[in-house]
Amino acid sequence: MFELRTWKEKLGFFGLLAVIAFFLFFPVYWALSSAFKANGELYRMDPTFIPHQPYLGHFISALTEGPLLLQLGNSLLTSTASALLNAVLAALAGYSFAKFDYPAKKPLMLLILSAQMFPFGVLLISIYPMLQSVGLLDTRIGLTVSYIVFALPVSTYMMYSYFKQVPNELIEAAHVDGASNFKIFRRIVMPISLPAFITVALYAFMWSWNDLLYSMTLITSDDKRTVGPGLLLRYINENNADWGGAMAASFLVAAPIILVFSVLQRQFIGGVTSGAVK
Amino acid sequence: MDMAATTSQGRTHRKPGYLKRGDRRFAYLILAPAMAAFLVMVAWPFVDAMTMSFYSYTVYDPEPVFIGLDNFKAILTDPYVLGSWVTTAIFVAGTTLLTMFLGLSWALLMYQDFKGRAVFRTMTLLPWILPSTVSAFIWAWMLNGRYGIVNVLMMNVGAIDSPVQFLSNDVGAMVAVILTRTWISIPLFMSFFLAGLQGMDFQQIEAARIDGAGNLRIVRRLILPHLKPVFLVTGALGMIGNLQQFDIIFALTGGGPVRATSVLSIEVYKQAFQNWSLGMASAIGVLWVFTLMPIVIFYLRSLFRED
Repeated sequence: MFELRTWKEKLGFFGLLAVIAFFLFFPVYWALSSAFKANGELYRMDPTFIPHQPYLGHFISALTEGPLLLQLGNSLLTSTASALLNAVLAALAGYSFAKFDYPAKKPLMLLILSAQMFPFGVLLISIYPMLQSVGLLDTRIGLTVSYIVFALPVSTYMMYSYFKQVPNELIEAAHVDGASNFKIFRRIVMPISLPAFITVALYAFMWSWNDLLYSMTLITSDDKRTVGPGLLLRYINENNADWGGAMAASFLVAAPIILVFSVLQRQFIGGVTSGAVK
Repeated sequence: MDMAATTSQGRTHRKPGYLKRGDRRFAYLILAPAMAAFLVMVAWPFVDAMTMSFYSYTVYDPEPVFIGLDNFKAILTDPYVLGSWVTTAIFVAGTTLLTMFLGLSWALLMYQDFKGRAVFRTMTLLPWILPSTVSAFIWAWMLNGRYGIVNVLMMNVGAIDSPVQFLSNDVGAMVAVILTRTWISIPLFMSFFLAGLQGMDFQQIEAARIDGAGNLRIVRRLILPHLKPVFLVTGALGMIGNLQQFDIIFALTGGGPVRATSVLSIEVYKQAFQNWSLGMASAIGVLWVFTLMPIVIFYLRSLFRED
């Protein structure tokens, strides 16, 4: 698109590239490098950019001296469960909106989408006593259900815009063969919509995976905590922060999701943007 | 379409593009679970918060006490609480503008074909997929007031004489939360702009080039106008997201020092879950919803325009 013929043009392009790339990637590199430094090398005024003596102590203590793995398990469990729940609800509702015609359709759709107007923090004020009254406070089930708040509206819209593109002829043809609505949805529509379904599930997963507010508030016992508040409570307190430990634990926690995304990223990013823009 | 009209087993196909009307029951049935979840987890909590905003309900009140508009009066006369709207505005404006600028720049760079682009594109997602606490940790460590790499580098080149205590002074703390939130949001914004760039008309660019237009002129005259709808949508989405932002700010500064980064989300959280003053928290929340409403309405209208 750009022509980079003269040295000025090249300098402008690659100069800007270098500045933004540094801003985006250096923090990650620096955190990783810090995780491998013993405290003597970590806290000094002439920093080493590559650890001189790679040190695994922070990783070992992160894994053995606290409930990190347990909390990672809690995060994976609640995020996966809420992602699936969310994707199923969104797929059903999105199909209803995309392929059927009924009077209340547009108002109901607007109603669900308008949920973005209500900050999660405000809803939490009422969700807290609500979960308390049904005995789901400080349970992973309660947290999983509450996570629906985050992603359901946008997920529904994403599924809706995907189903809109599924040709009606395909569904009509199955009707002629005598298949029921539910059977058509399950056997014909869902299999070809799997990419959208996975995108929506990943999108919802990200919301719960990133969450700090709900998990911190709705979970009070250490063994049920997810990684967000778990890390915060363990590594940062006012007087002494264990930065090496914090960096090591951060990478242990981030590893599974980095793995998943490096496999699915191309499809995912396309799905999310097309859902929100058009 | 022709086929659809003739194959509905006797029932007529009234509206092209949609399936038979007789299937309404099925449509309602599959909508019901999402609708129920929405009513229980979103609609009811909001109505409840609206109601609660007219009550005093703290740890000292065994039952909520109706106090009319007193919560709202208290908010509107309390300079500290009102101040959190200003703090929120600074945070939202700073983050959204910086993210749009960097996201667009990065998208333009990533649209150009150069060696190694694929690697950059893949890596771009990284800041976005890290859990918020992890991102906050990374930046808190980078900006550490003693051994943080930002301070160390600035001291080494002689830009400053003594380390800057980013997280314990008002301006530094705001800069820190804006930078961190921007860092996290760039990947998503980049993807939006990149998606928008796919529709560029190359012949137009070629024609402009023949007329002697340089790179910057092409960006200004052709690319920016083409991306206008993307600007509007990402701007709205960015503001909606940043107006609600809690995790990064809480993890980095806890709203401090004192109240320097105490945005609305932090204010409501503190009122509700540290002071246990649920009525007051709800009242701030209701005003917060009205702050968000115009932006969400704008966003939804642009979303439904084509339908």
